[in-house]
Amino acid sequence: MPIELLIQALLNGFGLAVVYILVALGLTLIFSILEVINFAHGEFYMLGGFAAYYLSAVGGLNYVATLVLAMLLVGLAGVVAERLVFRHLRGKTLNAFIVSLGLLWVLQATAQLSFGVLDKSVPSAVSGIVRLGGVIVSRERMFVILTAVALIVGLYLFLKFTRIGQAMRAVAQDAEAAALQGVNIELTSALGFGLGCALAGAAGALLAPIFAVSPTMGALPVVKAFIIIIVGGMGSLPGAVLGGLLLGAVEGVGTLFMSSAAVNILGFLMVIAILLLRPRGLLGAA
Amino acid sequence: MPPEARRVDGWIGFGVLLVAGVSVPLLTRDSYHLDVATVILRNLLLTMSLRYVMSTGQLNMAHVSFMGIAAYASALLVTRAGWSFWAALAVAPLLAALAAVPMGRVALRVSGPYYFLISFAFLEVLRLVFNNFFVDYLGGPSGLVEIPPPHPLLLTGGAVTFIGKLAQYWLMLVLFLASAAVLIRLECSRFGLVNGAIRQSELLAETLGVNVPRYKLGAFVLGAFFAGVAGVFFAHSQRVLHSSDFGLEPMVLLVVFTVIGGAGSVWGPVVGTLVLAVASELLRELHHYELLVYGLVLMVVMLCFPDGLVALPGRVARRFGWGRAKDGASTLGAGVAP
Repeated sequence: MPIELLIQALLNGFGLAVVYILVALGLTLIFSILEVINFAHGEFYMLGGFAAYYLSAVGGLNYVATLVLAMLLVGLAGVVAERLVFRHLRGKTLNAFIVSLGLLWVLQATAQLSFGVLDKSVPSAVSGIVRLGGVIVSRERMFVILTAVALIVGLYLFLKFTRIGQAMRAVAQDAEAAALQGVNIELTSALGFGLGCALAGAAGALLAPIFAVSPTMGALPVVKAFIIIIVGGMGSLPGAVLGGLLLGAVEGVGTLFMSSAAVNILGFLMVIAILLLRPRGLLGAA
Repeated sequence: MPPEARRVDGWIGFGVLLVAGVSVPLLTRDSYHLDVATVILRNLLLTMSLRYVMSTGQLNMAHVSFMGIAAYASALLVTRAGWSFWAALAVAPLLAALAAVPMGRVALRVSGPYYFLISFAFLEVLRLVFNNFFVDYLGGPSGLVEIPPPHPLLLTGGAVTFIGKLAQYWLMLVLFLASAAVLIRLECSRFGLVNGAIRQSELLAETLGVNVPRYKLGAFVLGAFFAGVAGVFFAHSQRVLHSSDFGLEPMVLLVVFTVIGGAGSVWGPVVGTLVLAVASELLRELHHYELLVYGLVLMVVMLCFPDGLVALPGRVARRFGWGRAKDGASTLGAGVAP
């Protein structure tokens, strides 16, 4: 096999994976702070897509403003969801999971009723392709990858150095101990949930020009995000990055050899194998 | 409650189901009503068996997949191997149970959030297989079609046919009552008591010498068997199978039925399935909003009454100081007596 083909396949895999990593980072951040698995996380991705549609395709805003506003709006929706619903379910993993299944239907049905079921397209911000040797990447993909990487780095710096970011990590480690040190658990949880959702919203807005926007667009990325965080270790942010890169590599190379349905199964087989061999994931805490 | 009293309660409840089930065809011969009643019975079988798996504290998100395995198996046995429907009915649920053994072994190695995520992974893998693999046999995206209805049953007095809504209702009623009898009987047995003990405190049950993994696997496999019974009926009454019949949406619907009624009691799924079936018939004009309403109801019930509707009378009674005091059971299915 020519080496260019392999590099091209890997790059295609990583191109999507880096966006799914954003979704997974939000999911795992929320899990680490509230101990809830939000199955409706993909619906916040969908909301990000619609925000991008209304802001850029309808409202005519430029790409950067669209992305920032989409993140803010979806983050706000996340804060509302946390205040109304998930704060009552801290630590009750099973109940929270079932509630999130309900939320998934509520958000999806609301989107269908208010935005319609038809696919909507969002114009691309950049066009053209870049040639690197025998490998071809569209400028648009390149832009998406770079933005996603910038957001991941930004999240790392935010959690590492800002006060509120440190509070989030403290709550994730031990909510009670954090409270004893004067951390405002309620505020931190709400902002953490909002931040997680904002990341999903960013992913939705980033992929909106590449895929069509529709009320059911959240189903695929949330599944990918679950695969990523189980492989990487639930609650581990570096694990989500590693798991995402691994999934991107496996799927990218997988498409060279098999049908897309078989590639999808590959991800689940990874999950089953990880859970059997190392249930806490690659970088999960013991 | 002592086991004897539970058993009496169980059989009284079964008697009510029996009388209600038999009286439906006496009250109506309308094919639409019979159709609705048949679907309700099928859903009851699915939710009661799902709740049986949940009685050990495990939410199995692959429950409809076992229905799917038996449905496809039965359809293939009848159309390809030329089996009679009755032979397929005997064998296909066993195949679903057999498939549940390795899957249960894998899934039960993990617990909590990992458990329902791995069972969800099974659901998706099987759905992808039904949809994309062995297309010549499973029909692929366009579905497995031309499944025959149940064959006539030859008895000494002549042949009984199963064409038409009424005959199918009777068949489903018999399958349901037989399965419900087993599930209710199990609930009042030592097996059911131990399952409840595992749900309330796995660690404590283990220290008392209960082989927890074995009980959990037992419940998992048994649940798969009864889901398989529903699957065989589904295949030969719908007469066409699509992979989406066994995806996330029908699965969540089962969770909605079960949890709204209350997963802590054997009657919870019965109450939940009946209440929601009646509600969705009454709100038929609002069909557009069905998922929205179901989603909202699920959220409200889980937030405000996590033990479901069956625990409501007791809750109201305690509120007014009539019943005995009990600390609020807030996690799903904890501490509600059947």
